[in-house]
Amino acid sequence: MADPFTRRQFLNSVGATGGSAAVYQMSMALGLLPGSAHAVPFANVEALGKSQRSVLILGAGIAGLVCAYELERAGFGVTILEASHRIGGRNLTIRSGDFVDEMGHPQTCQFDRHPNLYFNAGPARIPSHHHHLLHYCRTLGVELEMFVNDNKHTYVHDPKAFGGRPMKNREYVTDARGFMTELLAKAVNKPDFEKTFSREDTERVLEFLRSYGDLSPANTYEGSLRAGYKSNGMVIPGELKTPVEFSELLDSSFWRYRMHFTEGEDQCSPLMQAVGGMDNIVKAFVRNIKSRILTNAQVKRITLGENRVDVVYQHKGKHKTIHGDYCLNSIPKHLMAGIDNNLPNDYSTALASIGRGKLFKMAIQMRERFWEKENIYGGITWTEQEIEQLWYPPHGIHTEKGVMLGAYTFDAENSEFFARMTPEQRFEEVLKQGEKIHPDYRRYAQNAVSVPWHRMNHMMGCTAVWTAETRERWFKRLQQPEGRHYMIGDQMSFHPGWQEGAMSSAHWTLAHLNDRIRHELSGAAVNA
Amino acid sequence: MSARYLILVLALGVSIPAQADDYTTTPAQFVYCTVCHGVELKGNKSVDAPKLNGMEQWYVLDQLQAFKSGRRGTNSQDLIGREMRPMAAVLTDEQLRQAAVYVTSIPTLRAEATLGGDTRRGETLYATCAACHGPRARGNEALHAPQLAGQSDWYLVRQLEKYQAGIRGSTPGETWSAQMRTSALVLPDKQSMIDVAAYINTLQDST
Repeated sequence: MADPFTRRQFLNSVGATGGSAAVYQMSMALGLLPGSAHAVPFANVEALGKSQRSVLILGAGIAGLVCAYELERAGFGVTILEASHRIGGRNLTIRSGDFVDEMGHPQTCQFDRHPNLYFNAGPARIPSHHHHLLHYCRTLGVELEMFVNDNKHTYVHDPKAFGGRPMKNREYVTDARGFMTELLAKAVNKPDFEKTFSREDTERVLEFLRSYGDLSPANTYEGSLRAGYKSNGMVIPGELKTPVEFSELLDSSFWRYRMHFTEGEDQCSPLMQAVGGMDNIVKAFVRNIKSRILTNAQVKRITLGENRVDVVYQHKGKHKTIHGDYCLNSIPKHLMAGIDNNLPNDYSTALASIGRGKLFKMAIQMRERFWEKENIYGGITWTEQEIEQLWYPPHGIHTEKGVMLGAYTFDAENSEFFARMTPEQRFEEVLKQGEKIHPDYRRYAQNAVSVPWHRMNHMMGCTAVWTAETRERWFKRLQQPEGRHYMIGDQMSFHPGWQEGAMSSAHWTLAHLNDRIRHELSGAAVNA
Repeated sequence: MSARYLILVLALGVSIPAQADDYTTTPAQFVYCTVCHGVELKGNKSVDAPKLNGMEQWYVLDQLQAFKSGRRGTNSQDLIGREMRPMAAVLTDEQLRQAAVYVTSIPTLRAEATLGGDTRRGETLYATCAACHGPRARGNEALHAPQLAGQSDWYLVRQLEKYQAGIRGSTPGETWSAQMRTSALVLPDKQSMIDVAAYINTLQDST
């Protein structure tokens, strides 16, 4: 039988009586707009049916939110306890007026209030193959746009090379490839080589090299248009740039790692970002989670029992005990030793063996998007100074102002270098280093906000630092539950520091939990 | 509590008040302390934060003031001290006093022995320490010597290393601290520090 009254007809009738706002509300209720609670469960958690199970989730970061979202859809009773004042963990977007809870250096963001002016202090890029994350963005209505990671128009800078002058990335990369392929061509063009390869293959290798490095027919590198024109080239013939000396290219350490950065598994183009800020992902989960999420709820004790887990926490000046059939714990591993628990010794040793990552970001509001006048639209400038990276925002092109990253340090020493300063000292240092690349940098800078992740309240660390040895020795131990307690989060993945790592850990845990509950229920049925 | 209510509580994860006397309520302004120093300020070696419960109020206040003024936590090699410094620097003098009151409101917990060490050799070595810190390591405010009994062994060893290296005890005008440095230099090697710390750890149980 045909539907006598379609959704569209129904909405039209709502609109006739209640206007467009009513249509919008009703559309949300019917799941016809993005952002509404119509997303299909993604994790393999079967509905509990008439059974009841409660789960305590410690930490309202990405892993905790994913678990809460999936579990409540399967009928679990879920409570999330979050120690900090906010939901989202390291998924943190900072905007005008936001409080940045750094230990010892509380800051308030001074950006102008404008949708383009935000700072993704935590995750800032979404690779195309991070399918858990993309699934939730798709189904929860988080609008995405392209993020520029790889931009040949940015700069390469090393105080020890090219007289300390920044060089356009494309010039460096083109010349480096040219010289390397010329060198290889010389090696291939020797009689010995034909002992390894046939004449035909040798020819093809040479052709490959000429193409890869843009070599001359004589297999020499004479410069390439890939480096850009020295002058014009549009209405009069373009002039090639003179290649720099190969030894000078080698003086710069860019080739060691950074030149190949965007070839990395999680760094290759294209990448994406959430329109308006990465925390739209957090907001989307919060919109769709009905379970209780308590902020400013600091865990003091975790007690594993045979049939349940008890957690004592302080909230609004009072201590409370909460019980759960299971506990999913995303508290940073290095903080666990400071929380009372009855976890076995080897488990605690495992927790304490994982290092805490130290990463630092500083964002600056620039009064003008000066980089666009230097042909830079998004992407990263790399420097060997402590600031390591400059990021140019890919969004808000040709608008008035922009928030750019003035520093993003991967190196723990560099992160400490900035973390030990006051926010004002950091700003000055970041400007001092940035003007080595953009001479007028300081003139544009209006205000800044900085986040040293290993100094953030309730975190004291960024990505978990696993070594090959600790992974081998402890990863499986910590991934497996201890009784009814599971460690979760990006720290429990091979991609710490990525939202996909957090979500993958969450899904691994949910699948494990689902299996054991199925087992429990079937056991109960047999016993009944 | 009725059985039916209990089942409901267990099934839905409803919060009930914890044993009121289990934990000290952390004042909102000092939650920061517990993030690193742990529940009941019991210390957390993973983030290099020492045990604070059991410290004397005069010493807590003195050290907070030292961090704030730069008497401590400014040596370029004192990386951990420099992590602590901004936490004290951001507080007013009144807040420092409140912090010292809060720290000392927490009951003293036992410090676990974590390093092994030869307590008998440690006892012999401790003779030098006893002059200021007292035979039972209970401290002596008149000599500006804090209580050592009940402090984490790993933290004691680390401080001895810092004194030996001059990372602590080299600030001009800090005579007590300079005196401690001289005393620390008496210990010939790291094993001696571990032995002393192991012995000090046994003193917390004595009366």
